[in-house]
Amino acid sequence: MNSLNAMFPLLTLIVGALLVLILEVSIKRENKTYLAFISIIFLMICGFFCVQSWGKDFSYFNNHLYLDNFALFFSIVLIITTILVTLISMKYLSLQNTNVGEYYALLLLALSGMLIMVSSSDLIVIFLGLEVLSMSSYTLAGLKRDDQKSSEAALKYFLLGSFASAFLVYGLALLYGVSNSTSIAVIIDHFKTESSLSFMAFAGLGLVIVGFGFKIAVVPFHMWTPDVYQGAPTPITAFFSIGPKAVGFAVLVRLLYPFWHVAYDSEVIFSLLWIISALTMIIGNLIALRQTNIKRMLAYSSIAHAGYLMVAILSQDTSSLMFYFVVYLFMNIGAFAAVIALGKKDKEYLELDDYAGIGFKYPWIGATFAVFLFSLAGFPPTGGFLAKFYVFSAAVREGLVSLVIIGVLASLVSVYYYLRIIVYMYMREPTHEVDINLENPALFLVLFLCLYGVLQLGIFPGNILLIIKQAVSSIAFL
Amino acid sequence: MIELFLVFLVFGFVGALMVVVNKILGPRKTNPTKEMPYECGSPPLQEGINPFPIKYYLVAFLFLLFDIEVVFLFPWALVFKEVGMTGVILMFAYIFILLMGFIYAWKKGAFQWEK
Repeated sequence: MNSLNAMFPLLTLIVGALLVLILEVSIKRENKTYLAFISIIFLMICGFFCVQSWGKDFSYFNNHLYLDNFALFFSIVLIITTILVTLISMKYLSLQNTNVGEYYALLLLALSGMLIMVSSSDLIVIFLGLEVLSMSSYTLAGLKRDDQKSSEAALKYFLLGSFASAFLVYGLALLYGVSNSTSIAVIIDHFKTESSLSFMAFAGLGLVIVGFGFKIAVVPFHMWTPDVYQGAPTPITAFFSIGPKAVGFAVLVRLLYPFWHVAYDSEVIFSLLWIISALTMIIGNLIALRQTNIKRMLAYSSIAHAGYLMVAILSQDTSSLMFYFVVYLFMNIGAFAAVIALGKKDKEYLELDDYAGIGFKYPWIGATFAVFLFSLAGFPPTGGFLAKFYVFSAAVREGLVSLVIIGVLASLVSVYYYLRIIVYMYMREPTHEVDINLENPALFLVLFLCLYGVLQLGIFPGNILLIIKQAVSSIAFL
Repeated sequence: MIELFLVFLVFGFVGALMVVVNKILGPRKTNPTKEMPYECGSPPLQEGINPFPIKYYLVAFLFLLFDIEVVFLFPWALVFKEVGMTGVILMFAYIFILLMGFIYAWKKGAFQWEK
């Protein structure tokens, strides 16, 4: 249904971002927390519009913006991510000397880019959204301006990100050359009429997959991830580990899901992705074993998780992919929130040694962090177990047994480095004094919400599965 | 099409040839004075690379932003009659966003050269 309603979520975000920017420069206040509250209000209004248009298939700009349930589902997941990230940033920014109000505006703008990406099926519009997202992300990564690591992260992210965008655009050009259109549906329809894919079509698809591979950080294209994740401010790392990944996978679903069914020689692309998936799971988990910096370790763990998500793409099971994302959102933001909790003025505790004895000194933080780590490793009764279970069982049903074996072995390896943190927290004597700033109610709210999310999804996942079912059945391949 | 390509090829080839042949055949007698940067015959007074104030960067940046804006206005002016009221509203929204950016840059002190 062509209606201006399709624009409301985006408009809300942009108005919010502009308002935050203007307020930032016109009200000179040291404490920027009020901007966080304003942006949370706008995020909630945006979420309200998204929930309201559930099942109504609003569209605008000649269907270039199409809010099917699939898009809305991812939008809501991303909005929740942004709300949680805003909450964990509030105290962090003033503690870590990054007290800039633009932070919240940039988060809103990044989110608007992501909403454009998930709710379009035209590759040029998707690219537009990607650039909106990327520009904000580069800036966010470098916001700790006196910190060398942060500047390095921003520069690396910028260079490799623009490199990846170039790949993507070249792929789009080739696909346009083959099919005379940038709309995914027309491209796929064109593939249907051909008896075999031309070399140009293969090259185009390959380059597009490479471009998104950078964004979702799968293995041959993962080099930037650890440095960027380590250097960026910690809440932003949490944001990077979920936001760009979620949209990347959403676009891949839109692109590849119809592609598996029509093209005769999709096997080449399929085996390419098979190799990428296997490599991502193996290398991500193996390198994570040797990390002693928690942020770096979580970066490699997020690479490994991209590998599991790739298995879901290969087994054409969109619902398990979406469920994985919801769980991943809660457990990863929870883990990062726990890492942020261990910090005081101008100091973050990020090395493994700092975690010795934390479990007894700060029992609540230790216990919740342990639950998130159990969930990331995939233990029942947490959500992480069910998420992995759905992904792998869908893959077995599709006959990808060898890939599942690799995946299960790789996640067995991952248990070591997740549990090592728990061992440090509960079984090591602290080597040095770690005192942290505990006056941080927003952060504890996030810890609680994430704990609730992980356990709810692990024990009673019924409701969310129902919503996912509605979303999957509505994917519009325009 | 192929002729055009040939033209490019020939010109490119000739250009490359000239550069390379010069490099190969030219005499290579050099001395320190010859290697010096050319400054009207007098010995150079300072380093070739100078630090320049970061304000240039800001101005260049803002110029780029508000210059690109006009590029989007031209096609709109061309199809002004066809797009009608919707076009006007969208363009005003666009200008409004730019205006906010302008106010932001202003208030942030991007135009204050002397501090």
